[in-house]
Amino acid sequence: MRKLRILYATLVFVFLYLPLGVMVVYSFNASRFSMAWKGFTLDWYVKLFSNAALMQAALNSLLIAALAATCSSILGTLIAMALQRWRFPSRKVIHTSLFVMMMSPDIVIGISLLVLFMALSLPLGVWTLLMAHVTLCVPFVSITVYGRLLGFDPHVVEAARDLGAGEYEVFRHVVLPMVFPAVLAGWFLSFTLSIDDVIISFFTTGPTFEVLPLRIYSMVRLGLKPEVNALCAIMILITAVAVFVSQRFLKEKS
Amino acid sequence: MKRLVLTVLSLMLATQVLAASKELYVYNWSEYMPDSVLADFTKETGVKVIMSTYDSNEALYAKIRMVEAKGYDLIVPSTDFVARMHKEGLLMPLDKGKLTNLSNLDPKLMNQAFDPDNTYSVPYMWGSTAIAVNTKDPAAAAITSYADLWKPELKGKLLLPNDMRGVLGMGLKRLGYSLNETDPVKVAEACELLLPLMESVRVFDSDSPKQALLNNEVQAAVLWNGEAYIASGENPDIRYVYPAEGFSLWVDNLCIPKNAANVDNAHLFIDYLLRPEVAAFICQEMGYSSPNLAAQALLPEDVRDNAIVYPAPEDMALGEFETDLGPAVKAYEECWMRLKTR
Amino acid sequence: MKNDGFFKLAVIVGVISWMAIFAFVPNILVFLASFSSTSTQNFIEPGFSLSNYARLMDTTHLSILLSSLRLSGLVTVICLVTAYPFAAILARTRKPLRNTLLLLVVIPFWTNSLVRTYAMTAMINSSGIVNNVLLSLGIIDTPLAMMYTPGAVVLGLVYTLLPFMILPLYAALERLDRRYLEAARDLGASPWRAFWKVVVPLTMPGIVSGCMLVFLPGIGMFYVSDVLGGAKAMLLGNFIRDQFLTTRDWPLGAAASVTLTVLMGVMLLLYWKSAARLGGKEA
Repeated sequence: MRKLRILYATLVFVFLYLPLGVMVVYSFNASRFSMAWKGFTLDWYVKLFSNAALMQAALNSLLIAALAATCSSILGTLIAMALQRWRFPSRKVIHTSLFVMMMSPDIVIGISLLVLFMALSLPLGVWTLLMAHVTLCVPFVSITVYGRLLGFDPHVVEAARDLGAGEYEVFRHVVLPMVFPAVLAGWFLSFTLSIDDVIISFFTTGPTFEVLPLRIYSMVRLGLKPEVNALCAIMILITAVAVFVSQRFLKEKS
Repeated sequence: MKRLVLTVLSLMLATQVLAASKELYVYNWSEYMPDSVLADFTKETGVKVIMSTYDSNEALYAKIRMVEAKGYDLIVPSTDFVARMHKEGLLMPLDKGKLTNLSNLDPKLMNQAFDPDNTYSVPYMWGSTAIAVNTKDPAAAAITSYADLWKPELKGKLLLPNDMRGVLGMGLKRLGYSLNETDPVKVAEACELLLPLMESVRVFDSDSPKQALLNNEVQAAVLWNGEAYIASGENPDIRYVYPAEGFSLWVDNLCIPKNAANVDNAHLFIDYLLRPEVAAFICQEMGYSSPNLAAQALLPEDVRDNAIVYPAPEDMALGEFETDLGPAVKAYEECWMRLKTR
Repeated sequence: MKNDGFFKLAVIVGVISWMAIFAFVPNILVFLASFSSTSTQNFIEPGFSLSNYARLMDTTHLSILLSSLRLSGLVTVICLVTAYPFAAILARTRKPLRNTLLLLVVIPFWTNSLVRTYAMTAMINSSGIVNNVLLSLGIIDTPLAMMYTPGAVVLGLVYTLLPFMILPLYAALERLDRRYLEAARDLGASPWRAFWKVVVPLTMPGIVSGCMLVFLPGIGMFYVSDVLGGAKAMLLGNFIRDQFLTTRDWPLGAAASVTLTVLMGVMLLLYWKSAARLGGKEA
């Protein structure tokens, strides 16, 4: 029975990793057209880095991800705190909506924001993309931070209030330090969501601000190409590194 | 933290502002302009070219409508869409004074009904949509007409363009009608004829159909001649067949959207593309026919004589140029939806 | 104390405004648009009509919806059946190894799904890895035609969405109190019965949320069916995308989107019901 379990788990892992591994290996393959191994080369990576449009798109993606993650972390934390600490009208509605937003398919979010931007006559570009990504990420940050807030000892806050601290002070000096690991986790979550997003970016960005997943999409539609293999290999490795780093980070913090 | 955000924001704004004057946003068909042409243009003029791609006129049109003709400086619609976009005020008149190489173009392709006097457009490339076959496969090698594509031996081996007019044109031609048929009854007839063919289709692709042919995923493909040209260069077994019932000819044109930002750079680039050496290079690389007479003189013999790039006169006689359908396009769109959801 | 009131007010107003503008208004606009019509001038013409929904009910469109549901449903079932044992194994693994394994599951989860779809292309293409291996081993003579088939789309979706099923199932199974299982066994239940009558109901919220996280994106991921299916499969996601970016019939696309949202609503209700029942049981 035990052997069966190990076998099954291994099979699933192989299923998950084989295509990714193949991609990484073949990004070094010197053959242009077929999958037959023709020798080791770094040519495709060189070609990739000399593709200016691609590099610009990559830079744009990183920029937007960092900005969106930061804005979402701030907004998401404030929302979580407001929901947990205060009573105000529409509190329950907002809480439910956050959950619904998390579950919404990307395409629904994408087109609804497109309709909003068109209605407001906003030109599609970096700012609409930023707003769209923040909308995507905030629910995840909120729910994460909210979960953390629920586990807190309310007495600490009461004590601070008794000592005369205002709401802002309480937030800044008591609540924020306590939830910081969750905020950071939310930041990484948002960063990754933003970098990986295809569908929402598809509908909400404009010609002047191209992001990496959309560039990859137009390249992928042209068929198997070794430069794309190299690009994918890089993205796989970056993700792996990011996951490791965030794990370390969160372990230390908690 | 606040300072970081502010710095990043101001950097973003700065890069946007600084880069603005030396940029050109081109929106073009995929695989329609060699990267080296863009790079050489940048080297010569210092203008950075950012090219995005689309795979159909409909996608181009929808995007331009959506962004209200802003954001892109140069687009490449086919003739029927030049007429349509011009009618809806989406195009900017060209400043002929800036286009010094205009005289290189073939007068036969200028001053057409869709854009008299070439106010809004300048032809970029023209070509045909016909059938590429892999002669290794006996069923494919025997193809001489559209009707042959319906044969059961080709089931699952066919590629069609992801293009409404391209596919419907096949049905219309088989029935002996014009490609620009506006009678909805006749369009419906063509639709009925095409429905059974959908079972044989392995893939719809307008981005890079030659890939499927080169990978042996399909043995016969209805595609544009440039794709066939490159494919046959890679694999000599691949031939290009002009179907007996007739086929579509199209011209793609360079236009400037009404609210483009970098108008001067756009004109600079158009003029650059009109240079004989540049046009000849593009023709050789991409395999489409160049409307540039001066460029044609520069082409090597094997390209000039290649029937894929420049059809023989008897083949040309079978070709029909696509024009704007006007409101009749609705019948085509409904049919296309029916075919795609088969 | 003045500072106190201001901060609180500012945050509350900010939160409500943000939610209103970015969460409520867009969806209200889409809902309203679904009752409008389109014209050559504007994408959305004001006016009220149910014609878009009527058009969605005709045979062509209905078949798009049904085939999307069928395909996504199949993908969800495959993911569920594959992920459940895997998540159970993971939940039973001892701590240090378990964290490493979880990390290994999370990495594909975080990798761009377009990259993963493309990687699958390299595997099943006619000149791809699987065919190369099978050909060189002499198991087949001509390459298998795996690309551009509905099966390829299912494979691609399963591959992309499997981690989304594994993680909620793992969370639910990890929280499962083993004592329930032991009690069932003590009372004489067979392992099979114990599984269906105890484990499944207790992990139902995890099952439902996993299914939602696979089923709903499955319908909307148009790029998987474009890249792997040869643009032949017209699924709901492709349909909505086409309406907005090619055919320019925004009201029709909006109506389709509303339909998708309603579907999501139904699944959410299922989730809450199952979570509530679970809460009731434990209480």
